[in-house]
Amino acid sequence: MNKTFYAKTAVAGVGIRQFRRASAPMSEQQALTHAIVDACEDAGLAPADVDGFVTYGDDKNEPARLMSALGTKELNWSMAVLGGGGGGIAGAFADAAAAIISGQAKAVVIFRALVQDMSGRLSAAVMAHHLNRHMVAAGIVAPAQVCAMRAQRLFEYHGVPESTAEEFLKACYYHGSHNPDAIAYQTAFDHDAYAGSRLIAEPFRLFDCSRENDGAGALLLVSAEHARNLAKPPVYLLGATQGTGKGWGDLLDNDEDYASAGFATVARRLWEQTDLTPADIDVAQIYENFSAQGVASLIDHGFCTYENVAEFVRFENLIAPGGGLPVNTHGGNTAQGFIHGIGMAIEAVRCLRGESANPVPDARTCLLAGGPAAPTVSSAIFGNSGIIG
Amino acid sequence: MIGHTGLETPYWSSLAEGKLSLPRCSGCGQWQWPVAARCGECGHWGSEWQDVPLSGHIFSWTRTWHRFGGTEALPLPYVSLLAEIDGTDGKRLMGLLEGVGEEDRVRIGAPITGRIGSTRFGEEDVPVIIWRLRDGGEA
Repeated sequence: MNKTFYAKTAVAGVGIRQFRRASAPMSEQQALTHAIVDACEDAGLAPADVDGFVTYGDDKNEPARLMSALGTKELNWSMAVLGGGGGGIAGAFADAAAAIISGQAKAVVIFRALVQDMSGRLSAAVMAHHLNRHMVAAGIVAPAQVCAMRAQRLFEYHGVPESTAEEFLKACYYHGSHNPDAIAYQTAFDHDAYAGSRLIAEPFRLFDCSRENDGAGALLLVSAEHARNLAKPPVYLLGATQGTGKGWGDLLDNDEDYASAGFATVARRLWEQTDLTPADIDVAQIYENFSAQGVASLIDHGFCTYENVAEFVRFENLIAPGGGLPVNTHGGNTAQGFIHGIGMAIEAVRCLRGESANPVPDARTCLLAGGPAAPTVSSAIFGNSGIIG
Repeated sequence: MIGHTGLETPYWSSLAEGKLSLPRCSGCGQWQWPVAARCGECGHWGSEWQDVPLSGHIFSWTRTWHRFGGTEALPLPYVSLLAEIDGTDGKRLMGLLEGVGEEDRVRIGAPITGRIGSTRFGEEDVPVIIWRLRDGGEA
């Protein structure tokens, strides 16, 4: 065990501006500035006192360009997680915490902004990392197809029932339907809607795929002591791990545990780092770029196995408040919205503050699993005063 | 194009000549795919390319129904697959599968045999292995 991160830092504020794709009423930099100021106001900290920034997944907003609008006094930490796209999201928290714990910055914003008019389609940005002659010759040009082939093997070879993907989605849509901020608010979602949606790349139908939103999200991380003096109850970072192990990565689909979500070493180190186990997790935000990869992520983190996945990944078990592990309590990337996953991190904080549209009473811990099946991935665990005391 | 390291030139030249060739470490003999500058297992620099037969098994597959930008040359739906190449310790290559209908089941583990064709992408004809089911396609 190495509890280097355990409750040394905490999220003190969150902010998000989300719009329908290609309909943002402001530029990407404006949306991001709003989200950061929202996060600071949430915490009761002056935006000018933010001295560090961390992002992931191809964000094009260099922190130096934000300084004028924020009134930044000193820029002391300016970092991005390299590679992995949405797989880097939890790694951004590890990076921010490292800055604070080592004394290099005091107030670090983790952010992701994506307004299509400026940054183009997210799927295209993701694929720009990976696209090569092997893929385009085989007609594989989109993340949906890459993940579809992995899903096919997960279902057909490893025997994971396809119904688990639908159960996972039903939980996302159930939560989204109760969340006024979700694109799926008050939207009914059932088997007929799912099975009736058009095929994209087998086994994926339209509803298996996340859909992109415009917008920006920001979370303010400060030391635990600092957070206790700010406006909102601290949500502590208990652990965060990033990377990948041998036999996984950008290998032209020659990954060893091909149908997995790629978390083998990241999840093992996360449990070691926090001295927690899957049984200690009360609620989880499981980044689902695609339905099957959300299921694979739960397996990778040890909540279930190929053999018993159907017992665990059931609608009733995945919903708030009564499920054994409520997942994606805001609706997730599929039903709440998708600004490259930053909404998942924000919901991890909100659910531990008791602010979720789908509250999980007495929740003390929340897992944030980053974008699955990326060449590098990351995961984090957050906790509130219920576990820290 | 991103991902083209320069080390794979022999792969593409071989396909252009109508054959499949894959690299092995010239130190320890392990198959190397994707090709790497150095063998991470034995530390040797350099590989030898060896011709291998266009036969293998389906490792996984997807049938694409949505018209993604860049796939205009392929009639919908089309089947992309990941083929485990015989005699290479399970190294996998991406390719296309021909001769299956829209409703036909494709099975992981099914034996396949390939020919070399090309796919139009932008201004380029990119070589590709086009596979067919062998022995009735039963896994």
